Amino acid sequence: MNQENIMKGPAGIGLLAISAIVLLASFGYAIASLMSQGHAAFNATSTVPWGQPIATYLYFALASSGLGLIASLPLVFGFRKFYPVVKRCIFLAFAILISGMAVLALELGNVFRMLWVIPLNLQIQSAMFWMGVFYLVDLLFLLWKFQKLDAGEWDSKTSKQVGIGSFLAVLLASGNLALIFGMMSMRPFWLDGLLPIYFYLTAVASGLAALVFFTYLAHGFSRDNMSAPLRNLLEGALPKFFGAVLGGTLLFIAVRAITGMYSNNPEIHLVWSEYLFASPVYQASLWLGIVLPFVLMLTGSMRNQAGTQILVAVLVFGGLFAERFFFVVGGQVIPLFKGTWEWDILSYTPSATEWSLTIMGSALLFTLWVLGERLLNLSAMPPSAVMQEGPAAEAAAHA
Amino acid sequence: MAKWGMVIDLDKCTGCQACTTACAMENNTLPGESWQDVLFYHQGKYPSAQMKWLPRPCMQCENPSCVHVCPTRATYKDMDAGGIVFVDWNKCIGCKYCMIACPYGVRFYADEKPLLEPDLRDIFPGSNGQLWSPPYQNPEQDWKRGIGIQPAGVVSKCTFCYHKVSKAPAGTPDLDEAIPELKEYVPACVRTCAPKARFFGDLDNPESQVNRLIGDKHGVRLKDHTGNKPQVYYLGAGAGVPAFEPKPRS
Repeated sequence: MNQENIMKGPAGIGLLAISAIVLLASFGYAIASLMSQGHAAFNATSTVPWGQPIATYLYFALASSGLGLIASLPLVFGFRKFYPVVKRCIFLAFAILISGMAVLALELGNVFRMLWVIPLNLQIQSAMFWMGVFYLVDLLFLLWKFQKLDAGEWDSKTSKQVGIGSFLAVLLASGNLALIFGMMSMRPFWLDGLLPIYFYLTAVASGLAALVFFTYLAHGFSRDNMSAPLRNLLEGALPKFFGAVLGGTLLFIAVRAITGMYSNNPEIHLVWSEYLFASPVYQASLWLGIVLPFVLMLTGSMRNQAGTQILVAVLVFGGLFAERFFFVVGGQVIPLFKGTWEWDILSYTPSATEWSLTIMGSALLFTLWVLGERLLNLSAMPPSAVMQEGPAAEAAAHA
Repeated sequence: MAKWGMVIDLDKCTGCQACTTACAMENNTLPGESWQDVLFYHQGKYPSAQMKWLPRPCMQCENPSCVHVCPTRATYKDMDAGGIVFVDWNKCIGCKYCMIACPYGVRFYADEKPLLEPDLRDIFPGSNGQLWSPPYQNPEQDWKRGIGIQPAGVVSKCTFCYHKVSKAPAGTPDLDEAIPELKEYVPACVRTCAPKARFFGDLDNPESQVNRLIGDKHGVRLKDHTGNKPQVYYLGAGAGVPAFEPKPRS
């Protein structure tokens, strides 16, 4: 089933080499900058303490959670049509989470210290403590679940229990990540008890973008190289689901924007009017990265085309990355108690070192993914899925 | 044990920044790392415009949101030290979540781009793990309480000059620089305040001058709606901080 995976051939070696070179170069640049300048190599300051590396971590962590949630569709809720992408979902979730953690590690002031001070001090009041716990549990469940599926245990009792455990871990991890922001009453732009729902939704959107892009890339951007059940999924349930999730994302952004703009509180409405909507980059990312993909996915003839799906995946990558960036920075741009020392909205533009961390995380993701495609069978699915959906999909493909 | 509190009379403050300077000299902070700052706000238009001075140290909150969010307990409120909020530089991982959670913007991550050039960290490179080592340095060092010059990658903040306050005789209701035998125990910003706009004492002692001032002059706490309950009170007109307005667009 995996014979048509071009990552197993020379293309895989080429992409692996390019990814590894970019990874080494970006990591080397980041480390050299941090060693020589410390965190002064970042453009984050005491007034905007969380910059692009945090936004990158957020983007990766939530894309991982989204992939974990998509993997739960067949494993927990019985949507068997999604079996052809389950293993790739789980592996991608693992690879993206590792990449995000690598970026976060280089953002922290004292990363190794955290290995003992967090477990030894058990500050259970802190959402960030629980972020560490839940994402660690999430990571372990992803590995355990993948190991079960790799051993062919698709329907065993243990496999289902691990699947449910993994689903719960994803919900806790990404929901808690949302509350790291959503519980900050002193940052009104973030304060929102429903932020976990927004994060779940956008996590699935970014997870679907990653799944679609990497699935096509593995098969040389050609459906002819795919198995029949996978083709069936990409011509049916998956693009519909993708479109619906993008619609939900737009709805959520609209609701947040309307309530934010209506509010008298300058720490909310000025963020929308003077920072987000005043930024051409935000406007472009919103219209090209979320609205346009949603429109493209509205009609069946468009959304089922491979080219449309790949384009939408790439646009959503950019759109949601910008969404994370403007969300993280937006919560900090109104100067907090600075008076006339800072009498305008704060500006923040990532430095070359901060960009190198984003590139490093992306290169690490590509490297791990190519290795996964080459060394593992990420297209595997239970025999029953092939038996049930194979002939129908073949017939549809030939019709 | 006392519960140390500060009272700042805005009708007396002249915005001279002597407190800011004294704090920086006492605690060897870098430019921009203003543990104590005097903010100013302006409202209205000429000829009836007004300017407001707002000295702003760490509020040493009774219910500090920075402490709740710290994942490592590096930031903690020490009730045995008068309720002062400290940062243990041996535990801080530099996640900066406390800076996000503080409603008053009084926490600093000095491992950032310098506010002024040349960078003092280049002129006086750090030794003994310090971020920088100026030629004259306060000999008081206590990294478990964030006192001294910090290492790289940690958050720093005002300590109410605990290295001075902690040496005051037990049971002292007020640390007043006008009393010769107490002046060495008074926080640097209070001691140096020329118009005597600052007072420092025990909020748990009903007889203390700080409590009498709060009661008689209707002391208020900044952003009291956040529930953080600062141990710093303001007196006089001008304690109302105007809402943020962006610079007018041309």
